[in-house]
Amino acid sequence: MNDFNWRLTGRCYRLGHDIPHAGAVIPVRFIANRILNPNELIPFLFHEINPGFHKRVRAGDIIVTGRNFGMGPKMNGYIAMQALDLGLVCESMPFLAYRAAIGCGLRVMTDCAGVTNWVETGDELEVDFATGDFINHSRDVRRRFSPVPETLRDIVTLGGNVGWLKHWWKTHRNQAS
Amino acid sequence: MSMTAVEKILARASGVTSVNAGEIVYPKPGIVVLHDYLVPPCKKELDALGIDRLFDPNRVIIVTDHAVLYSSRQDAEFGKIIRRAVADWGIKHFYDVGQGGHGHIFLAERGIIRPGMFLFDNDRHCTNHGAYGAFALRTGAEITRVLATGTLWTMVPKTIRIKLTGTLQPGVFARDIGLRMTTDLQFGRDYGVDIDYRVLELTGPALSHFSMDARVSLCSSPTEARAVGVFIPPSEKMLRQIRTVAQKTFSPVYSDPDALFEKEFEMDIGNIGPQAALTGFSDRGVDLSQIEGTRIHHAVIGSCGSGKYEDLEIAATVLKGNRVAPGVRLFISPGTEDSAKRLYMEGLWEIFHTAGAILLPPGCGPCFMGYMAPVSEGEVSISTVSTNPLGRMGGKGCELFLASPATVAASAVSGRVTDPRSIDALIKNKGESDLERF
Repeated sequence: MNDFNWRLTGRCYRLGHDIPHAGAVIPVRFIANRILNPNELIPFLFHEINPGFHKRVRAGDIIVTGRNFGMGPKMNGYIAMQALDLGLVCESMPFLAYRAAIGCGLRVMTDCAGVTNWVETGDELEVDFATGDFINHSRDVRRRFSPVPETLRDIVTLGGNVGWLKHWWKTHRNQAS
Repeated sequence: MSMTAVEKILARASGVTSVNAGEIVYPKPGIVVLHDYLVPPCKKELDALGIDRLFDPNRVIIVTDHAVLYSSRQDAEFGKIIRRAVADWGIKHFYDVGQGGHGHIFLAERGIIRPGMFLFDNDRHCTNHGAYGAFALRTGAEITRVLATGTLWTMVPKTIRIKLTGTLQPGVFARDIGLRMTTDLQFGRDYGVDIDYRVLELTGPALSHFSMDARVSLCSSPTEARAVGVFIPPSEKMLRQIRTVAQKTFSPVYSDPDALFEKEFEMDIGNIGPQAALTGFSDRGVDLSQIEGTRIHHAVIGSCGSGKYEDLEIAATVLKGNRVAPGVRLFISPGTEDSAKRLYMEGLWEIFHTAGAILLPPGCGPCFMGYMAPVSEGEVSISTVSTNPLGRMGGKGCELFLASPATVAASAVSGRVTDPRSIDALIKNKGESDLERF
């Protein structure tokens, strides 16, 4: 866990406000059919607002969004983002969307007020999700936001809720109930 | 340190003297409620991880409310998995088909939910328990972590205090107020504060208009606008009622006079008439007059939104001596087995039957994705169910209106969306009896 990479360096994909999870992040049919396999989800991540996104994106790239990103407590899109090794920085998210993103093991920061004012798609970003440091190298902007809370970091490093539970059981299975 | 009521409940459950909004804590629940539909996936996930024991099987309650009738062999197999999980996990408090009813209703009615209690529940409409001065937190699929470890990371929510004032108009009910409140609060629409993951603490003199049952209706709808909880400080009268059924002693919790609320404002319920929510979540509330006269085909009274006995009494007042209109099917789903029994004992069943309504087993009824009594494509439904996203109870070509039990019953009789204030019996009864009856 110690070598987990909290600092991502990659290109920015800037999105606006009020991007719903169903449709914009991942087509509704994947949610309705409860498809959670990242290999099936990845080709359709942001497909409706940015066709071919999955072909252009690279590991370490960072999605930067406006307010109210990912409405709905669904996790399909975050599973795809985590599998692609992406980061997510939002001006705000509904709490259950944030909870779902953490539960999928995604590096995510929310409540980053005004962050979309300082980026454009294609900018070179460097974001440390453990310290909250946010650097836009293309525009020489540096900010510090609230990082992933320390108490939640093991969920992210272990790949999400299932990975966390698997790890927990390894250390607790021999304890008397 | 001054705290709100829900902060006190979370502090107590977390074993600390105080908590602040925004802080992450690990509260230990008095009970954990797992609803039938999530048992098989939980069992599958825990089995795959090799987790074969729960943190405390005595504190886990499994309720059968979503899929009560097995309408296919597949459903029967589903029930078998649930019973196997109950046996494997050693669950002692299992409410099988026909034994409890809706988990968001019967647990409180039987005194299992008590003031000051903290609990985890996989289903978001557990906000109902705030009517009893308890705080239930929805976990969704993360209930597996609770089942295994006994807790879950919990961010202490901010609390918004709403003082209810004014006098409830005749023909207007708690569900109307809940729908109006939900619409006005969504995205900070009318009060300038977004209620996402907020607790709404309801206070004020107008609460005296609402009985225990009515308070449950008040607590249901704001879930749709993403409130994490609704909390009503239990009055002395409510506490006396709860003590008659409480299975254990309890300690009610109240906000400190100088507690920090995110926002405080008043809401005059005297200005609110009958409401309806349009298809697409119950935050899309409108004055009933906007859809009055719309032809309906399907009507439902029940679910955790308005499935208390008093809701059924309201419906019976409207239906007594009337018939459901031709071309309309009216389904009534009592919230609990105890309410179903009362329906027979107190003669309401006869009223419903004579009116041409169909009685469904206690539980979620059609609200669970049209599992039973669904809506056909192109039809219009009006119901008291808890939520109405597009396609919830039928195809995407259906209209799914939400309204109070009185409005639904009146509409079922006339065949069109009808203002219940046109029903003389409803207005007369209300005027002659104490306000808290309805």
